[in-house]
Amino acid sequence: MRIYEIEAPHILSRFLAASRQVYQPQADEVGDIRWRLLEDGESQPLPEAPALVSPKALFFAGQENLFVFDGECFRETLPQPEPFVVFGAPACDLHAIAYQDRFFAEDPYYQARRRQALLVGIDCAKPCEQGFCVSVDAGPGVDPATADLILHPLDARRYLLLVCGERGAAAIADLAPPAADEALLDTRDQRVRACAATFAERPYLARGIRALNNNRVPPSLWQALGVQCLSCSGCTTLCPTCSCYDRRDVVGADGEVEAQRLWDSCLYESFQREASQHNPSAAAGERVRRFWQHKFGAEFVAEFGRAGCVGCGRCEQTCPGVIGVHAVMQRLAEHA
Amino acid sequence: MHKLTPTAIAVSDFYSDGEDARHYTFRLREAGAMAGGRYGQFFMLAVPGVGEAPFSFTALPDDQGVFRALIRRMGAVTSALFALPTGAVLGARGPFGSAWPIAELARQRVLVVGGGCGLAPLVGLTNQLIAQGQCEVLGLVYGARSAAARVLSPERQRWQTQIPMVEVVDDPAFPGPTGSPVDALPLALSKLARAPNRIIVCGPEAMMCAVADHFTRRGLPAECIWLSVERRMHCAVGLCGHCYLEHQYACKQGPIYRWDALQNLLSDRPRQQALTHHYHC
Repeated sequence: MRIYEIEAPHILSRFLAASRQVYQPQADEVGDIRWRLLEDGESQPLPEAPALVSPKALFFAGQENLFVFDGECFRETLPQPEPFVVFGAPACDLHAIAYQDRFFAEDPYYQARRRQALLVGIDCAKPCEQGFCVSVDAGPGVDPATADLILHPLDARRYLLLVCGERGAAAIADLAPPAADEALLDTRDQRVRACAATFAERPYLARGIRALNNNRVPPSLWQALGVQCLSCSGCTTLCPTCSCYDRRDVVGADGEVEAQRLWDSCLYESFQREASQHNPSAAAGERVRRFWQHKFGAEFVAEFGRAGCVGCGRCEQTCPGVIGVHAVMQRLAEHA
Repeated sequence: MHKLTPTAIAVSDFYSDGEDARHYTFRLREAGAMAGGRYGQFFMLAVPGVGEAPFSFTALPDDQGVFRALIRRMGAVTSALFALPTGAVLGARGPFGSAWPIAELARQRVLVVGGGCGLAPLVGLTNQLIAQGQCEVLGLVYGARSAAARVLSPERQRWQTQIPMVEVVDDPAFPGPTGSPVDALPLALSKLARAPNRIIVCGPEAMMCAVADHFTRRGLPAECIWLSVERRMHCAVGLCGHCYLEHQYACKQGPIYRWDALQNLLSDRPRQQALTHHYHC
């Protein structure tokens, strides 16, 4: 891996902005940190706190057209984005993108965006409030297999820039930053390990996952958790690996039909309800059980090579029913 | 890459075939656009302005791109379809999913069990098995909640002359056998030269579970029973998530499942319902 040194992240983002659009986490008017397209020439420091939302929507759009129908023909409407950078993504979110890359491997809409993207990760220097990436093998250091470039803060005025592959190398070929001492790779590893050691011990996570996979969780507990689920879709919206979608047709003034897809939530009562009203997952507890099965079930881990949870803790942060990942796993762990 | 955009089809013809049900004939604008299908697989029908929904082929696309489906008016897509005249332009994608194991049924003693609209995915299979004439035994049981609700009349009339068949209606006033397809199994078995060793079933989930339980309790291995599950679907390629059965998707690993694989994917609810016979075809 090639390794360089730069003074600040914005040196890299400004350089990349010359040939690409740059998306970066930024605080909005109410202080929520969201991914935002920087304007031409705009340069912003990366916020220290994690983003409220993941960059999921940059690839799997919250709402998009799949095709249009003009009364005679159906025409596929693939997105045609300009090249863009996802700048300053944490390790957990990059693992989520790698996960979705596999899930959406044959989805032309996702891949049309993904092909145009350069992923610039940044190592986390300290644990975030609900984060537990350490427990699910997703951080706090960025996995080079999940990014094109990695920034590592050495101190306020020194950043390591790691080049993870050809795509990353090509992107910074003309920047020509000064090479860094190779020994600094070890320094980075040590610092990432030291950061990992500061994460809270959460033994209930492994125990909860074990209870889930051994089918030891009593139906009454799922039922109780189901009562707490308000079907608000906060968790599935914020979860960086959730991928379910709904379909709807919108008829325009000219009669042209736009066939759209939009994010859906498996926790909605109507998610599986059929036209006949037969509903295989009418019970809220069943839906909650299946949601966690999707995140931690052994069958999914076998299929995707990792858990569907990357330890960002956003579900815990957002759930009004207090059944985010920590609350649920603590209760499941009692049955391990 | 998956193709989520339909290809254009036209409504060629339809006739009323059961309560709120019609047998449709569609024609692909490009004759070869949905080639390579097998019975048990399904297609997504797009009614522009309303949405898409999955349906079984009762006849796969022929050389001219003509195919057929039995469709019951049930939700938004089918209600919109029923309001359209012949010639209307719609969309279709497919074929999708798993198929009936036709090759595994040759030289076997096969009983086909259908309930309500669940007979539709069995039409192509039954026709094919009759035409091939390779089964040692082939019989069919069909049940519906009322005499008027029975679908696929021309097919059933033809099969009556070709194979041992029992029709049962869940209405005490019906002049023939009454009850559910499970109730009619003893009568059906009495009409077969030998007891079946392969069961093919499609209908309401609780009824399918009851049929499977009936035969496994009598010693037939779960590996000898195949079922077709119905789920809400939007994409048909394992992406939208709606048709999940635990870690699988009915559109991808299904809709045709062998009972040993499917019984582990269903929650206990339909099986309990099945045991108390509270289901309707």
